Amino acid sequence: MIVGRPRSALVAVFLWVALWGAAAAQDPTGEAMALEALGLDSPQLVEPPAGPPIDGAELERRTQEVASLMRCPVCQGLSVADSPTDSALAMKEEVRGLLAAGYSDDQVLGYFERSYGEFIRLSPKPTGLNLLVWVAPILAILAGALLIAARMRSARPTGAGAAAASDPELDSYLERVRKEAGN
Amino acid sequence: MNRVALVLGALFVVPLLIFLAISFRYDPRAIDSPLIGRPAPTFTLAGLDGSVHRLADSKGRPVVINFWATWCQPCIVEHPILQAGARRYSGRVDFVGIVYQDDPDLIRRFIAERGAWGPALLDPGSKVAIAYGVYGAPETFFLDANGTVVEKVAGLITPQTLDRILGELL
Repeated sequence: MIVGRPRSALVAVFLWVALWGAAAAQDPTGEAMALEALGLDSPQLVEPPAGPPIDGAELERRTQEVASLMRCPVCQGLSVADSPTDSALAMKEEVRGLLAAGYSDDQVLGYFERSYGEFIRLSPKPTGLNLLVWVAPILAILAGALLIAARMRSARPTGAGAAAASDPELDSYLERVRKEAGN
Repeated sequence: MNRVALVLGALFVVPLLIFLAISFRYDPRAIDSPLIGRPAPTFTLAGLDGSVHRLADSKGRPVVINFWATWCQPCIVEHPILQAGARRYSGRVDFVGIVYQDDPDLIRRFIAERGAWGPALLDPGSKVAIAYGVYGAPETFFLDANGTVVEKVAGLITPQTLDRILGELL
């Protein structure tokens, strides 16, 4: 009797724990909580959003704007905004989420840059060696313009006829034409 | 005049050729991950069977994180390599697979046919893949015992690479 009672109590406790465990496993709120915690453990951006949350048309416009500055990682020279791939769509969704929370364009681009590197930007930031990419075309255009100007300046006298007069071959030809025209 | 044009042209063309000669030797996609040397983004993800896996639980052991999919040919090729690696380093290194943009049913069928080498975690919205800067599958990240990213291998991983990196970590 004395031995039997604790044993039955133990069985009862065991049964209760087992049933409670089974009930907890099926508990939809418990499951929802577990689902909610899935994903990254810490927020993607540690700093607070630079602005207030946005939505609607403005959110769409800015999502498109920021996504168009980002390189689609699985494409050749396409932006995230222009690419229909799953990777680009997932990134665009991430951009939308961050912008909706109020993060600025720079904060969003900075977040992607932290994991993907500067390669994620379709146009490199105009700093350091990158400045070459921005300055070199302008320098090339200027050099080209100078070259053309120099050529035109040296070509003008010959075109005006003043220098042509000094060409003996042309002179005789011109004289013949004038003579024939005079006749 | 021609000489001036030649010199000016050479001034542009020669540096350009040097620049191209150097840059074409690198694959722009193979740039080192900016995450290297930094703490790996920690995550909590569910596997195919719903069981939850926390990266934080691996603290104290090196971790191999492999982003893969059934549509990616190199992933299929490296599957047995990772299986062998996970067996060989069992108990010393954690091998974690994260499904990169694939159908859970296809993953389930693939694992039923070929076996698993670690949890195949689902990454809704590719949020974890984005946090790791994944360009495509397969990509393998190596974390040291403190959770710092020490190396990233884009593309097929070889047993030699696996042994080299884990040898340095253990």
